[in-house]
Amino acid sequence: MNRLGFLAREALINLRRNLLVVLGAVLAVFISLSLAFGALVVNELLRINTLAWQDGTHIIAFLYDEGQDGVATGAHAALLDEVSGWQEVANVRYFDKAAAWAEYQEMFADRPEQLNIDPSVLPASIRIELTDIDLYQDVQFRLASQSQLIRRVATFGEQIEQLSSLSTVLNLLGLGLALVLGASAVILIANTIRMAIYARRDEVSIMKLVGASNWFIRVPFILEGMIEGLIGAGLAVATVWVAFRNLRTIGDSIEIVSFGIPNRFFLTWGIVILLFGAAAGVLGSVLGLSRYLRDEDGGRPVMVDRRVLEPT
Amino acid sequence: MIRLRDVTKVYEGGTVAVRDVNLDIQKGEFVFLVGPSGSGKSTLIRLLLRQDTVTRGVIWVAGKDITQLPAWKIPFLRRSVGTVFQDFKLLPNKTVGENVSFALEVLGRPRSVVGPQVKQVLELVGLNDKGDRYPRQLSGGEQQRVSIARAFVNRPPILLCDEPTGNLDPATSVGIMRLLDRINRSGATVVMATHDHAIVDAMQRRVVQLDNSRVIRDEMAGRYETGEIPFQNGGRHNGDGAEE
Repeated sequence: MNRLGFLAREALINLRRNLLVVLGAVLAVFISLSLAFGALVVNELLRINTLAWQDGTHIIAFLYDEGQDGVATGAHAALLDEVSGWQEVANVRYFDKAAAWAEYQEMFADRPEQLNIDPSVLPASIRIELTDIDLYQDVQFRLASQSQLIRRVATFGEQIEQLSSLSTVLNLLGLGLALVLGASAVILIANTIRMAIYARRDEVSIMKLVGASNWFIRVPFILEGMIEGLIGAGLAVATVWVAFRNLRTIGDSIEIVSFGIPNRFFLTWGIVILLFGAAAGVLGSVLGLSRYLRDEDGGRPVMVDRRVLEPT
Repeated sequence: MIRLRDVTKVYEGGTVAVRDVNLDIQKGEFVFLVGPSGSGKSTLIRLLLRQDTVTRGVIWVAGKDITQLPAWKIPFLRRSVGTVFQDFKLLPNKTVGENVSFALEVLGRPRSVVGPQVKQVLELVGLNDKGDRYPRQLSGGEQQRVSIARAFVNRPPILLCDEPTGNLDPATSVGIMRLLDRINRSGATVVMATHDHAIVDAMQRRVVQLDNSRVIRDEMAGRYETGEIPFQNGGRHNGDGAEE
C-alpha cells in the first residue's frame, strides 16, 4: 500500500512537473480521438439515414383475381397469412383492387388521359417490407413458386442492391477512417510519451542504479500515460457529444436527414473511446520505456568476432 | 565478496575494454582501480553493476554469478551494491532528503523506517541540516556527500565508486575520502576507480592497476605509480576527470 501510494504520488508529481509535455500528449489524444469518434458518429448517421431510405415497400406481388383463373375465393387472405409468417418479412399489406385504383388515380392525377381505363383491370397485390433488404431474392423466389396465384413479382432489386452496396461502402469507409485515426492516436501518444521519457532518461537510469525494478519504474509512467489518455479521450467524447447536440438542433429543420442517434450509442462508444485512450496511454508508455530499461541492463548481447577474443 | 575470472568485454565495433581480468576482492577491503583513461576501470564498474554484460568470463558478487543473472534479478544485485559517480547522479527535482529516501522507497521500505534511516545517514555525511535543499543549492562536495548518503542509506555490503573525487578540489576530496574510509571501516567493501595520485598514495590501500584493458599490477598497500612497473604509454594521469 505504501509502495502504491509512493508510485501514485510520483506519477502525479511528474504530471505537474512536465505540464507542457503532458499538455502535448493530452492534445494528441484529444485531436486523434475526436476525429476517430467523429468518424464513428458520421458513420452512424449515414447508417441511420441509409436505413431510413431503405424503409418502405421492397417487393410487390400482383395477384390473379379471386374467382377467376382457378383462384379460389379467400386465396388472397390465405397468401397474406402465409407471407406474413415468413422470417424475412417485416411487414405485409394487402392492396385490393379498389386501393390499386385509388393509387393509380393518385399517380396519374396530372395526366387525366391515363385515367380513362377500366378499373377492374388493375390487379390486387400484396406489398412486402423485408427485415433485411439483401434477402429480396429469397422472397422473390418463394413468391415465384406460387405462380397459380401470383401474376407477377416486382422488386426494387437494382435500387435495393445499389443502396445496400452504398451503405456497405459508407460503413467500411467510416470504420476504416476511425481505425486509421485510432492507430494514429496510439502512435502520437507513444511518441509524445517517448519524448517525455527521453527528457527523463537520467531519472530512469538513476532509478535503475538504486535497484528499482522495471515494474517499479514503469508504473508511474504507465499511470501518467493512462491519465493523459483518459483526459484526452474524455475531452474528445465531450467535444463530439456537444458538437453533435448542436448539429442536431440545427439539423432538426432539415427534414431529409435524420439525426436520431440514440444516447445509448454515445454511452457505449464513449466508454470504448475512454478505454481506448487509457489503453493507448499505457501502450505508449510501455513502448517508450522498454528500450531504456533494456539498455540500462546491458542491452542486447553484442556479436563479437572470435578473432578479437584470441590471446594477444 | 567479488571475484572475476577471465573477464573480457568487447564493445560493438570490436573495441576491447577489458581482457582476461582475474581479481578477488575480500569482504571489507578497500581497493583502488587505477590506470589511464580507456584502460577499462569504468567498464569493470559497469560490469560489476550489470550495466554491461561480459563477452567472456564469470563475475561473482556476494557468491552469485552475476553474468547469468536474469534481467528481473538485476535490481536485487544493485540493492546490495551502492554506487557513487563523478557526476553525482542526483535527481535535480528532488530535495537532498528525497534523493536519499528514494533509494529506500524503491525497496518498498515503510515511511516509519525511511525517515529515521535518512536522518541517520545524513548525519553520517554531515548534511543533517540540508535535507530540504535541492542539489543545485549545494556545493560539489556536498552533492557528492548526498550521493554517498544515497548509496549507503540501505547499508549495502559493497560500494562501487567511479571517480568520486574527479570533479572536486583537493580539500573537498579529502573530506569525501574520509567519509568513504569511515564507511569501509564499518565493514563495507569499497572499490574505487580513480585518477587521483594524492589520494591513492595517502590512503595506502590495495591498488589494482589497469593498462590497455589488462590488469598489470595488484598490490596491497600500494601507491598510484610504482617504479617497478612503469606505465606503458608513458602518459601523465593527473586526474583530468575524463574517463572512458
